[in-house]
Amino acid sequence: MRLGGYEVKLDKKVRVTGLEATTISLLAILIGLALVGLIFLKAGVNPLTGYRAIFSYAFVNAFGLPLTINRSVFILLCTCAFIIPMKAGLWNIGMAGQLYAGALGAFGVALAFGAKGSQTPTQAPAVIIGLMMLAALVGGALIGAIPGFLKGRFNTNEIVVTMMLNSIAFWLIAYMIKEGGPFMGGGGEGEGFKLSQSIFPPTVLGGAFTIPLALGLAALLYFMFAKTTLGYQIKAFGLSPSAAKYAGISPHNVPLLVFILGGLIAGLAGYHYFSAVPGVYKIPLNYGDFGDLSFYGIICGLISQSNPLAAIPFALLFGGLTNGGRFVQGQLQLGYGIDYALLGVLMITLVAFQFFYRNTLVWKKIERES
Amino acid sequence: MPNQPVKRGDIVLEARGITKRFPGVVANDHIDFEIRAGEIHAILGENGAGKTTLMKILFGLLQPDEGEVYVHGQQVTIHSPLDSIHLGIGMVHQNRKLIPAHSVIENIILGHPKAGSVPDMRRTRDEIAEICERYGFNIDLKAKVWQLSEGEKQAVEILKTLYRGARILILDEPTSALSPPETEKLLESIRMMTGDDLALVPFITHKLPIVLAISDRVTVLRRGNVTARLRTADATENSLAKEMVGREVIFRLEHVEVEKGKPILEVEDLSALNDKGQLALKGISFTVHEGEIFGIAGVSGNGQQVLAEVLAGLRKAEAGRVSMDGVDISRFDNLERWKKGMGYIPSDRNNVGSIGAYSLVENVLMNYYFDSAFSSWGIVDSQKTRKLTEELIAEYDIATPGPDTTARSLSGGNLQKLILARVLSRMPRLIIANLPTQGLDVGATEFVQNKLLEAKRQQAAILLISEDLEEVLSLSDRVAPIYEGEFMGNLPVKDVSIEDIGAMMAGLKQKVAQ
Repeated sequence: MRLGGYEVKLDKKVRVTGLEATTISLLAILIGLALVGLIFLKAGVNPLTGYRAIFSYAFVNAFGLPLTINRSVFILLCTCAFIIPMKAGLWNIGMAGQLYAGALGAFGVALAFGAKGSQTPTQAPAVIIGLMMLAALVGGALIGAIPGFLKGRFNTNEIVVTMMLNSIAFWLIAYMIKEGGPFMGGGGEGEGFKLSQSIFPPTVLGGAFTIPLALGLAALLYFMFAKTTLGYQIKAFGLSPSAAKYAGISPHNVPLLVFILGGLIAGLAGYHYFSAVPGVYKIPLNYGDFGDLSFYGIICGLISQSNPLAAIPFALLFGGLTNGGRFVQGQLQLGYGIDYALLGVLMITLVAFQFFYRNTLVWKKIERES
Repeated sequence: MPNQPVKRGDIVLEARGITKRFPGVVANDHIDFEIRAGEIHAILGENGAGKTTLMKILFGLLQPDEGEVYVHGQQVTIHSPLDSIHLGIGMVHQNRKLIPAHSVIENIILGHPKAGSVPDMRRTRDEIAEICERYGFNIDLKAKVWQLSEGEKQAVEILKTLYRGARILILDEPTSALSPPETEKLLESIRMMTGDDLALVPFITHKLPIVLAISDRVTVLRRGNVTARLRTADATENSLAKEMVGREVIFRLEHVEVEKGKPILEVEDLSALNDKGQLALKGISFTVHEGEIFGIAGVSGNGQQVLAEVLAGLRKAEAGRVSMDGVDISRFDNLERWKKGMGYIPSDRNNVGSIGAYSLVENVLMNYYFDSAFSSWGIVDSQKTRKLTEELIAEYDIATPGPDTTARSLSGGNLQKLILARVLSRMPRLIIANLPTQGLDVGATEFVQNKLLEAKRQQAAILLISEDLEEVLSLSDRVAPIYEGEFMGNLPVKDVSIEDIGAMMAGLKQKVAQ
C-alpha cells in the first residue's frame, strides 16, 4: 500500500519478545484511554481530571487500593481458570458457575460446623477454615469436571455446557441464600449468612491470605507449562489432538483434567472473595456481579496469550479500572455506564493490537523515478 | 482473455527471466519456459529446487524480483490469486484446501462469484456434473468431503478450478497422495483435458515414471536454475534423475540378506472398524520376524491405515489377537507398546507425526516425555532432550537452523527424517512404517529406505505399508497385498512379479496352488 511518499507493507513476525509485547500493550492502553477521553470531553469533563480521579482512587486511595487488589486477585484466579483449558485448546466460559460452586462448598462447610453469625463453631477454627477452602476447591472442580468429562467422552461443546452450568449455579445460590434458603442471612436482606468472627481466615499484611497464594499459583502454572511433562502434554493436545494421541496423550483425560484444574482455581476465586477478603465473609446480595467480573478472566487470558505471569498486570489494570471507573462515575456525576465504556474500549484496543504480535509494519521510502 | 479462441499448440503462458531472491538464497535464477495449449508441461525438481517459489509467482502469491510473465502474449502482473483466476490460471494445491464437513458441491462453489448469495443448487449441480462427465471424474457430488478418498479430494480440487473457468492448470504434486489406480484415473482425466486444449503444468519432485508417462515436455530445476528443457520422448528416468539430483541415482536398492530370527509380531484374526463404523479389517493373520521386512501393498483405503493404527494401539480392535515377543499386547495402550519396543511412523507426518508449532526439541520429546530417563518428578530434562535433538539433526542430516526452530518450518523430507530419527533412536525391535516415503523427493526417499534397511540389519522386525509397488518389492522379504481389509496372499518377494501383486491389489486372490 502506498501512503504519502512511503510504501507500507505488512510482514509476518516469527516471534514476539517480552519487551515488544509490553510496548504493544501499553500503546493499546494509551490509545484506548485517548478514545474514551473523547467520551469524557463529550460529558463535559476534562479527560485528565477524569483519569487522575480513576487512577488515584484505584491505585493510591486507602479505600480504593485494597478493593482494587482484592478484585484483581479475583480476576487473576479466574484468568488462571481460563488459561489451563485454553492451553488444551478448550474454552472455559464457566468460571462464574465454578466460583459459585466453590462458594457453596465453603459456606456449606461453615454451616455444617455451626460457624454462622454469632454462633460458636463446633470445631477448631483452623480445621473449619481448612475444610472450607478444600470444599471450595472440590466444589469448583466437581462442576468443572462436568464439561471436561462430556468433552472427552462425547466431544460435547464445552462452551455451551459451561454457560448452562453458570446459570444453574447462579440460581442454586439464589435458592440457598434468599427467602428461607438454608444459607439465608439473619437480616432477611436476601444475602447469605455471615461467618462467625472466630473463623475469619488469617491475613497477610492486612490483606487476604489468598493474595500471595494467587500470585504463587500464577508462577506455578507458568512453570508447569514451561517445564513439566504435564504442561507438555496439555499443550500438545491443544496444538494437535491427533498428534497428541499418537504420542500417547489421552484424548479423554486431558479435557477432564484441564477442566478439573480450571474449576478448582475458579472455586478458589469464589473462596477468596466471599470467605477470605476482610469485611466480606458472606455470599453478598450482589454475588451475580462477581460472576460478571469473572468474565474479565477470559479477556485477560486472551490478551496475555495464556501466559499466567503476563496476566498479572492485566488483572491489576482491569481490577483497578472496574473499581475506579465506578467510583468516578458517581463522584463526577457522569452518565451511567462510563466505566463499562472504558473497559469495553480498552478490551477492543488490546485485542486489536494483538495483530502486531504476529505482524509488523514496514515503511520504505519510494524513490522518485526520474 | 480466457474467452479468446485458443488453438492447440498456441503459447498460453510464457515466463521470461523469472528471478526471486530470498535472504541468503536465489530461489529462482532467470527461469524461462513456455506452456502451450493442449500440452502437459512438467516442472521437475527436488525439494528446495525452487519449484514452489515459481509456482507461487505464477499464482500471484509471490512477486518476482525480475522477469516477466505473458499470458496469451500479453504481459501481465499477477498481484494475487484472484488475478491469476481472472487470467484463467487455476492451481491445485498438494495440501488440500477443502472443508471436510461440506459436500463436494458446496466446496466447489465456495467463493465462486457465479454462485451469488443464494446459490441455485440444481443448476450448479448440472453444470458441475457436466464437467465431471466430460473429463471422466466419477464423484458423488452430494458426498461430504471427509468421506472421500485422497484421489476423489484431488478431483474436487481440479473441478473447483475448472468450474472457475481455468484453462491453465497448475498441479502441485498431483499424484503424491494417490494410489496406483487413482493415479491411473487422474492421468486419464488429464489426457481428456489436454484433448480440450487446456494446458497442464504438473510440478513433481519424485515419481519420475509419472513424468515420463504423462508429460509432453519437461523443465528440470536444480537450485533455482533450469538444468534441462526437453521433450519427454527424448528423456529417460535416469537422465531426468541425473539432471534433478546432479548425480547418478541408484533406483534398485540392493537386497539386504539378514538371517531371519524369532517371530516378534504375531497377528491372529484381527478385525477392526474404520471411522465410519464399517468393518475395514476382516480377520487378518500374519507374523513378522527379527530381521525381516514384511511389506503390505495396497491401494489406499483398503484397511492399511486401520491396521497400522490398531497395531500402534491408537484404534480398538473388534476381534483378534496381537502379540509381541509372545506376549499378548491386544489390551496395551500405545504408550505401553512404545515402552515394549514398538516404534510407529505414521503416514500423516504433519498432523499426527509432528506438532507444527512445537520446536524440534519438543517434537523429539513426543516419543520421550514418558521415559523416566528424560524427566524426573514430572519435570522435563530439557538439556538432555536438546542434546538428543542436536545429535539426531547431525546424524540424519536434517536441514534446519537449529533445534529451536518449529517443525512447521521444515520441508517434508526433513520433517520425515526427524520423525524417523526420533522413532529409530528408541532402538525399537518392531517398526511399523506407514507410507514412510510418501511425497518425498528422490534423495530423501533413498535416505529413508536405507535407514529402514539399516534397522533390518540390526535385527529389527519391520512392517512396511506402502502404495509404491517398486518400494515394497525392493525392500521387503515377504509381501502381502491387501484388498478390502483382507490379504490376497502372503508370499516371499522373490516368488512374485509386479504383475501378480498388481492383480492381487485389485482383488484377485493368490492362486492356491503355487
